[in-house]
Amino acid sequence: MKERSVSVRNGDFQVDVLEGGSGDPLLYLHGVAGLEWTPLLEGLANGHTVIAPRTPGFGESTGTEKLHDIHDLTFFYLDLLDELGLDNLPIVGHSLGGMFAAELAATQPARFSHVALAAPFGLWNDASPVIDLFSVSLPELAAAMYADVKSEVAVAIATAPQARMTEVDPATDAGQATIGYLVERSKSMSTAAKYLWPIPNRGLSKRLHRVRQPALVIWGESDGIIPPGYAERFASQMPNAAVHVVPDAAHMVVDEQPNHVVGLIESLLAR
Amino acid sequence: MKIEMFHLCPYRDLPEDFREKNRSVWVDVPRSLFDAEIASRTYNETLDELKYAAEVGYDGICVNEHHQNAYGLMPSPNLMGSVMARETKDVAIIIMGNSIALYDPPIRVAEEFAMLDCISGGRLVAGFPVGSAMDTAYGYGSNPSQLREKYAEAEELILRAWEEEEVFSFDGKYTQLRYVNLWPRPLQKPRPPVWVPGAGSIETWNTCIDKGHLYAYLSYSGYKRGKQVMDGFWKVANAAGVDNPYHAGFLQLVCVADNEQELHDKYAAHTEYFFNKMLHIYPGFADPPGYRTIDTIKAGLMAQTTSFGRADTKELSFDELREAGNVVAGTPSQVTEQLEQVSKDLRIGHLMLLNQFGSIPHELAKENIRRTAQEVIPNLRHLWSEYEDHWWPQNAIVRGGVSAPAATPAD
Repeated sequence: MKERSVSVRNGDFQVDVLEGGSGDPLLYLHGVAGLEWTPLLEGLANGHTVIAPRTPGFGESTGTEKLHDIHDLTFFYLDLLDELGLDNLPIVGHSLGGMFAAELAATQPARFSHVALAAPFGLWNDASPVIDLFSVSLPELAAAMYADVKSEVAVAIATAPQARMTEVDPATDAGQATIGYLVERSKSMSTAAKYLWPIPNRGLSKRLHRVRQPALVIWGESDGIIPPGYAERFASQMPNAAVHVVPDAAHMVVDEQPNHVVGLIESLLAR
Repeated sequence: MKIEMFHLCPYRDLPEDFREKNRSVWVDVPRSLFDAEIASRTYNETLDELKYAAEVGYDGICVNEHHQNAYGLMPSPNLMGSVMARETKDVAIIIMGNSIALYDPPIRVAEEFAMLDCISGGRLVAGFPVGSAMDTAYGYGSNPSQLREKYAEAEELILRAWEEEEVFSFDGKYTQLRYVNLWPRPLQKPRPPVWVPGAGSIETWNTCIDKGHLYAYLSYSGYKRGKQVMDGFWKVANAAGVDNPYHAGFLQLVCVADNEQELHDKYAAHTEYFFNKMLHIYPGFADPPGYRTIDTIKAGLMAQTTSFGRADTKELSFDELREAGNVVAGTPSQVTEQLEQVSKDLRIGHLMLLNQFGSIPHELAKENIRRTAQEVIPNLRHLWSEYEDHWWPQNAIVRGGVSAPAATPAD
């Protein structure tokens, strides 16, 4: 895997892009939790060149202040794809990235050969609300994200420091690490808030019918962030979409069951 | 120095077990606890208390804006200010203020404040708060990551609407108006003074210094923690060559009685009601992402003052709250001495006092208002007399110093 920084719109944005594997390109858009080279991407890289940009506002990717709403974000990503010379490729998005992928596929359907959405945000059902991602306590958040709340990663989230409550000693390495962590979380969560606050509905249902490509909607069976009932809601508006609910997984289905999800995406691409 | 009475108009009748049974006094506080008969009484008593404060010698009266909560029942402080503009004749009417980022278009605030300034005969202070996270991000659904930008744009629009002589167009990111042409315009020229209430964010200090607005630190953490914040403000101010104490305001809870026994008997339970019930806020509502800027988070962490207000969940007693400086309670001379110390230490030209807070009932609130106004305030006015107050409404009263406590009106 290689990481590079790509300039978009003459330096308005400086975007980290992770790239690995070989074969035809595949675009992956990460979720609210951020971007790492995970087993899912490693699995997809077995047959594809996986290209995974980090959304402005996350990590070192800059320019989030130039993005006001979901439309700005969509056109930013189209500019990035132009910059990278990418066309006619599959797009896979998880969580917030799933919402972005759906918007991109609806805006330029011809550009994307296949669409896989894993637990995407973007629709709203009064009878079955999406969690209030920004006000839940960390233990509640961890339990909503992971099917196995005792897993190391779930425990880490449940017990992470909180800016309002944490006393740190800036003179120590540990203190600096905590400050770095809290600053990054504030930065990435306020970026997510641009597209999700206060209700994660920016009118996608008016555009989703344009996602006509072979498509797959993947959901973790016990997703507590976005209830699995949303899978059908998405698929019913996309003319060529199938639904697959993955057992023993919640919102972080792409990390919890990476092999299963890789298999699902491979069979989608064979369609 | 100027001393103003601040009223929050709290819901005074929450049940004893409120804290145990509910997670928050704000945002999702159960509607079943709201009784409109109680609210009706509360509004009228609050208006009476504000009027009374004006009559017995306060320099100004302050009201503010909050939404979806039992802590302060004034979603529209302008309605209270409107009554006060008629019920009082000389004090400053300090609307502290309107959360300008919440109004679409924000010109509404420019209009209502202009009306209030005209009705009151030029006695209005225009407060421009960003607003608490609970009010703005949750109560009004405003995106916390865009709130400050929206605020800055609204402020620019309102000030231009007051000050510019010609009709103009405004092409903002959040507000577009082809014609901005304010009718009415404020009586004060070029406009009412602007006060900005803050809770200690760096950006607010900078804005106040850059634009010449008064900075009012409104917090219940008391003068001991307030010192840290005001030191931060004055550091920024001094760097810009500003040192006038009237540039700053500070809020303090005050109760006055003749002795310790009386203080406890009269005020302990009501003070505890305020700190333990009115500030019982679910932490998830207090700090949504983007509400505090990265610089403020970093500065807070660096200074290790992150648990401002009431981050801990422990109940506090009256004695602990006095000890920590959250409430200034004592005999008139003790209170005078402490407030003088606070004003000097924090370099405060505008002291905003809460005499009614928590569940303090009407008659006791009036007693506290009267005693503070007559036995404390006259002995503080001489402070900072060497400075000029550029933040006072043009037609509001400027009362004399030590010599002339106002007469007690018939109750």
